[in-house]
Amino acid sequence: MDIVVAIKQVLDTSEAVDVVEIDASGKDIKKGALISRINDWDEYALEEAVQLKQKLGGTVTAVTVGPGEWDDTLRRALAMGADRAIRIDEDAAAMDSCVVARVLTALISRLSYDLIMFGAQSEDLGSGQLGPMVAEMLGIPHATLVVSLQVQEGEARVSRELEGGVLELYTLKLPALLTIQTGINRPRYVSFASIKKARDKELKVMSLGELGLSREALTPMVKLEKLELTPAGKRAELISGSAEEAAANLATILKNSGVILSG
Amino acid sequence: MVLADYKYKDIIHRCFRCGYCKFPTDWMDVNNCPAYARFRMESYSCGGRLWLIRAWLDGKIDWTDHLAQIVFSCVACKNCAEKCPLNFSDNIVDMITAAKSEMVERGSIPSAVKNFLENIQRQGNPYGDARIKRGEWVEGTGIKQYEGQEFLYYVGCVGSYDTRAKETAKTLGEVLLKAGVSFGVLGNEENCDGNEVNKLGEESLFQMLAEENIQKFKDLGVRKIVTLSPHSYNAIKNDYPKFDGSFEVFHYTQLFQDLIKGGRLNVSGGLNARVTYHDPCFLGRWNKEYDAPREVLNAIPGIELAEMERNREATLCCGGGGGNFYTDFLGGSETNPARIRIREAYATGASAVAVACPNCMTMLEDAVKAEGLEEKLKIRDISEIVGEACLVKRD
Amino acid sequence: MAEILVVAEHRKQGLADISLEMLTKGRQLADRASGELLAVLIGKDVSRYAPQLAQWADKVLAVKNDKLEQSLAEPYQKTLSPIIKERKPKLVLIGHSSFGMDLAPALAVELGAPLATDCTNIAMKNGVVTVTRSIYNGKVNAVYSLAPSETVIVTGRPGEFPVEEGQQRGSVEEIDYPLEEEIDYKRLEGYIEPEVSEVDITQAEVLVSVGRGIKDKGNIEIAEELARALGGVVACSRPVVDYGWLPSGYQVGLSGKTVKPKLYLAIGISGAFQHMVGIRGSKMIIAINKDVKAPIFTVADYGIVDDIFKVVPILTQKINELKG
Repeated sequence: MDIVVAIKQVLDTSEAVDVVEIDASGKDIKKGALISRINDWDEYALEEAVQLKQKLGGTVTAVTVGPGEWDDTLRRALAMGADRAIRIDEDAAAMDSCVVARVLTALISRLSYDLIMFGAQSEDLGSGQLGPMVAEMLGIPHATLVVSLQVQEGEARVSRELEGGVLELYTLKLPALLTIQTGINRPRYVSFASIKKARDKELKVMSLGELGLSREALTPMVKLEKLELTPAGKRAELISGSAEEAAANLATILKNSGVILSG
Repeated sequence: MVLADYKYKDIIHRCFRCGYCKFPTDWMDVNNCPAYARFRMESYSCGGRLWLIRAWLDGKIDWTDHLAQIVFSCVACKNCAEKCPLNFSDNIVDMITAAKSEMVERGSIPSAVKNFLENIQRQGNPYGDARIKRGEWVEGTGIKQYEGQEFLYYVGCVGSYDTRAKETAKTLGEVLLKAGVSFGVLGNEENCDGNEVNKLGEESLFQMLAEENIQKFKDLGVRKIVTLSPHSYNAIKNDYPKFDGSFEVFHYTQLFQDLIKGGRLNVSGGLNARVTYHDPCFLGRWNKEYDAPREVLNAIPGIELAEMERNREATLCCGGGGGNFYTDFLGGSETNPARIRIREAYATGASAVAVACPNCMTMLEDAVKAEGLEEKLKIRDISEIVGEACLVKRD
Repeated sequence: MAEILVVAEHRKQGLADISLEMLTKGRQLADRASGELLAVLIGKDVSRYAPQLAQWADKVLAVKNDKLEQSLAEPYQKTLSPIIKERKPKLVLIGHSSFGMDLAPALAVELGAPLATDCTNIAMKNGVVTVTRSIYNGKVNAVYSLAPSETVIVTGRPGEFPVEEGQQRGSVEEIDYPLEEEIDYKRLEGYIEPEVSEVDITQAEVLVSVGRGIKDKGNIEIAEELARALGGVVACSRPVVDYGWLPSGYQVGLSGKTVKPKLYLAIGISGAFQHMVGIRGSKMIIAINKDVKAPIFTVADYGIVDDIFKVVPILTQKINELKG
């Protein structure tokens, strides 16, 4: 069972307390003190792929389109259990999803695969487009937001997440492409020792040219015009003071609004 | 998993379940293993864990979340080693740590432990707070960056980031300044000492942290280190030499002891209080230092030192080791060892519990609130008690 | 004349709310551009829903397929593609729902059309479509322009475009589903409704909801104590369920439950839009989070920017004191 997992590295802005800033170009955010790590959804996809490989045998290849710093995340993927990793050396930030999809398609079509997995979306830009685009370009069936997966006899049985917690069940013929939703499994911890051991595994870097593509021929259709920081807490009335004072104030507000009943 | 790969494969079968590991040195109470005190099930005592670990490594039971939680509930307090009659008793905590290591290498660990370790990998502290905020506690104190002074004052993660512990870090620094000690801190350049990482079984991460710290200390010409936390003291004193890092390291109570004896720290300002002292495991049982903190307290006129029933080697751990101050596997009940300890402390009639460790500080602060005793029993670090006695004022 | 095409989505219970939102927005854009709005719906009960769509659309294409009880990506793609190629609408609007996420990117590639997804604002001027997207965990807004093309596709974020009553009386054309063959490479097997959990959070008047900031399962008890003090019930955001700290029945949000309590207390919840969509109907929203930039503060009525582990226990205590 050969599985290809497409992953990316993101700046962690989820818990970033007050440290997101727009850089001088106005077209990106400053790295500053932000930590880089694997995109949350991709971690679940990788874990699912590795677990499948452990059950059914085969290989897992991690692929990405990105700059040199993203090798860290590829090494992590190798440490988690991927057998090899391939990075197309390009700054994906300057591309739109369709262009990245074309590059990934060009790469993946050179690999042998039964199953391709993407995270359902990325934490930074959150478009959720790459997976289904690549599936369409490769001409294989796809299903997004997969929360459970079983593979048997050339087919993948999946459940997709709909609104309100309803699950939509599908059977797809392999090869197929799935985008994975968080919560499908519990990604393993990657120890420092396993990252060191993974240095022996293959991490290949390729250029667009080696895929028969050129930057000039890949024109994005969606162009970033500008970035703006969202204003902080524009609606909430923020209660100031120490924890003690703020809590006391809030309790009074709750009482006055009739939420707290005495006795 | 093959038992043959386990570090202690030749001795693990020799635990014959005498049950002594649950007792303190003076036999006073069967609940001296903090996890056993919390859960009252044999699985949670050292001997129980060793048998489960052996069964797991031998393939007789499967790994489950529950097994992982049992193994990681060991807070590495070393009470079990005091009473274990076997000749390898000194290794029994390490045997549990080695089992944690097996789980770590497979990636199958409780999610709280995973967060703890990943945060340290990324931000150099278990809270996941930004590195650039590590040195903020220094503001307004006059404490300087380390640039070759006599001592490196090493603070540690809890002292640098935990709100209550930061006050302790500040006060300790101010007392050292008052005593004319030549010292500096690393501020944002400081990284985790790795003691908890080591006790959680992430050996290669610990090695990486230790080697980086050792190189940093060497590059700066550090010879003497004084630590706020006994955890840092333990790692630097006992584990760093394995990685070629030998420094003269003191826990701050030992330095205070010297300073008071040498007349450089004047505590004659005194204080009127009946206090009880809670021995931190990484100063006490792990490093046999029971006297220095007591001598410091006794040197302050007006301090009446009342001992709890279980003290020194017999101390009941607050449950703050093995990363548990963050992962909190022993919480959620009045049998939480920290809460048991608070009830014991209260029973001495003391108005304050003197601690010498920021982990003990956070555990006991939470416990005293859970017990509803926060007006009646204060938790004070020894540096804060000394600070009051030598009239260190801070707004 | 510019045409805007809205792809309508329907579930067992009726037309999806997001479709009404897209219809409202589509109507506004069509009016501003002096264009026409076309709505396309494919499925079993199209005759029933078509008149509703005609309240916004100038024309409704109701494609009858008795096998399609709810909207599915593959049949929609196969049906829409020739319609769009023939009619060349300037703009195709789809809701950024689970269905929309499955459909839009594949459709865009098949048509060679520029695509922008999960948009919080959409504008069309001189034939160029620009959109706004919320990125970096809601901390940054980005404006994009789509390359001028015959057709562009945009998916809209649920809840961003308030529904306005439609005033049209559009015409309805019913046509048969064009395909004969079954789609065998992706077979629908059925649906599973969510489990009924012991506690029905949708009925509670007070919800104390925890997010990733609660850091671990054991800490949830501080929320439970606060809930007890307020006579309420604990709920959570998605990450808490992903980590296995609470069962999925407690989840509030797009893939969880929609709630309308008197009081919604968000503790350590950053406010990802998928979560906020589930709480919009709450009478009062209060957020406690140490990050002043957390998007939750844009919907909360009151907020405390501080450490939840400090504030929550004190709040519980103060409330118990006020209760006497």
